[in-house]
Amino acid sequence: MCSEPIHNETATMIKLENVSKTYQTDKVETLALKHINLHVKKGEFLSIMGPSGCGKSTLLNVIGLLDQPGSGSITVDGAPVTSYRDKDVAKLRNQTFGFIFQSFHLINDLHVVDNVELPLLYRKVSAAERRRRAREALEKVGLGARMDHYPNQLSGGQQQRVAIARAMVGQPQVLLADEPTGNLDSQMGAEVMDLLLRLNQEGTTVVMVTHDEREAKRGSHIVRVFDGQLVA
Amino acid sequence: MFKNYLITAYKVYTRRKLFTAINLTCITLTLMVLLVVTALLQNAFYPTGVEGRSDRFLQVHTLSAVGDNGNSSRSSPLGYKTIEQYLKPMKSVQMVAAVTGPRTVSVYQDNRVNELMLRRAEAEYWKILDFKVLEGRVPDDEDVAQGRFVAVLNASTAAKLFPGERALGQRLNAGGQTFEIIGVVEDTLQLNAYADMWVPVSTDPSTDYRSQLFGDFFALLLAKSPADLPKIQAELAEVTARMRFDDPKKWNQGFMWADGKLDFFARGLFGNERVPDSGAGTLLLVIAVLMILFMTLPALNLVNLNTGRILERSAEIGVRKAFGASSRTLVVQFVIENVLLCLFGGLLGLIAAKGVLVWLEHSGLIPYLKVDINFAVFACGLLITVVFGLLSGVIPAWKMSRLHPVQALKGAA
Repeated sequence: MCSEPIHNETATMIKLENVSKTYQTDKVETLALKHINLHVKKGEFLSIMGPSGCGKSTLLNVIGLLDQPGSGSITVDGAPVTSYRDKDVAKLRNQTFGFIFQSFHLINDLHVVDNVELPLLYRKVSAAERRRRAREALEKVGLGARMDHYPNQLSGGQQQRVAIARAMVGQPQVLLADEPTGNLDSQMGAEVMDLLLRLNQEGTTVVMVTHDEREAKRGSHIVRVFDGQLVA
Repeated sequence: MFKNYLITAYKVYTRRKLFTAINLTCITLTLMVLLVVTALLQNAFYPTGVEGRSDRFLQVHTLSAVGDNGNSSRSSPLGYKTIEQYLKPMKSVQMVAAVTGPRTVSVYQDNRVNELMLRRAEAEYWKILDFKVLEGRVPDDEDVAQGRFVAVLNASTAAKLFPGERALGQRLNAGGQTFEIIGVVEDTLQLNAYADMWVPVSTDPSTDYRSQLFGDFFALLLAKSPADLPKIQAELAEVTARMRFDDPKKWNQGFMWADGKLDFFARGLFGNERVPDSGAGTLLLVIAVLMILFMTLPALNLVNLNTGRILERSAEIGVRKAFGASSRTLVVQFVIENVLLCLFGGLLGLIAAKGVLVWLEHSGLIPYLKVDINFAVFACGLLITVVFGLLSGVIPAWKMSRLHPVQALKGAA
């Protein structure tokens, strides 16, 4: 069965056409995504919902080029992804996407500011410019005073805000958030959601995976995944 | 970017103290041994100290002879007659010195007997080698021509035989002959210089040595410049070809080779007494292979340790990949981390090697050893260190950088 495209506007940021993904283990072959057709508009806040194990995160990983689809095609900002060569996808990820993970994935050995600089390390940006932009990003998430702390000296909410600063420091076109509030209490979760909405209002496309119906509804669109397929 | 790598490396290494300690010990010990061996080899073969002119001289140590039917052969140090009759008239040499190998002689002093290593040398010996004279002088042409019973001691022997006194002008009885000490020179371990005591060749109790083709001498052949050394070797081949033995019925073909120090060692080691090739190339190859093997084993161990270390950082690899690091960038990062650790280990290895060399000098284990880590050895150590870092870092870094970002983020490397 082939799902119909959910959105079909001209200003499409991400387009998935007939994307399928299969995981092969020793004995079992699991079809994680089945013929997905999805258009993400520029500037929208798309929430992906669904039960555990339905393929939400796999879909997000495929959108963010962290994972390669088994079949189908992906277009990013009008340009089809034709090569999954390490060097090519690394460049595309660096320039187009910012990632926010449920468990933050900050590097505990580095200061907060060094963590935030990370995406700029892989661009031709001077050290002074990196530092300036990292400081700005941290101030934007309200952590300007925590630059020289280590991640494990911060609360969970603060760590996720550092992760958001890291994701946005490179001014990516798309923020991909995989259950960004999943490890936070409701107050911290609300703060993180406010931040994501603010970034979206400033023009960044946001794709968020969540279990939380209320959070999902704060975005502009919701798509639901069930058993690897998009459902209406 | 480099600063980021440095900070990460520092943090990783200080967080995993046991791992770092094992890694550093492994690198330090290996490099220390390599540096000590290199320093000793350099001391033996490189023109330095007393043999600072060894790039300008060759040594002829052995005369080999074979009989007509090839069944009989003899190899021994040169007789004085061989040097006098065949080597000294050579046109390509600037100077030839005959000197005996170090022989044990008993020295009677204040009711004590000391065993010393004695050389009998011509005056040219002192001109070719660059002894550091601490007191007095060394024998000159006249001392040798007149057969004067004068002797030179090295500093340790002078201090041992005449504790608290000045050795110069003293007399001593060596092997039944009495010599007056006219000079004291610095201790030295070099191939052609090693001895405790030197006397003129003409003080030999018998003059028989002058008429022997085989004996216990060797010759130092000084060239006008290092570029002339091949000419000397070519002329020696001609000279040897026309050599006439005292007993031509028994010996009719002779072999002598003018060798640099490395060639001399190689020829002795491989027994290449009748072929021009000393085997130095093979010797260098063997040394290089042994050194590489010696480095490879700990490097393999480090590869294992490093893989484990990098494995623990799979989430970091995943994050870096997600934010745009390519596999190549990650390889560079991990290799830089490893090379930095190896350079630090190299620094410790250098300090440890210096300590071992100082200990070797003072322990008397190798008499008269004077060796130091100089610039060439330091550069060699640096090179060894970097090679070590690359050897032990590239494989795990490459392997781990290939991790799929999704798998890496899950920490499921």
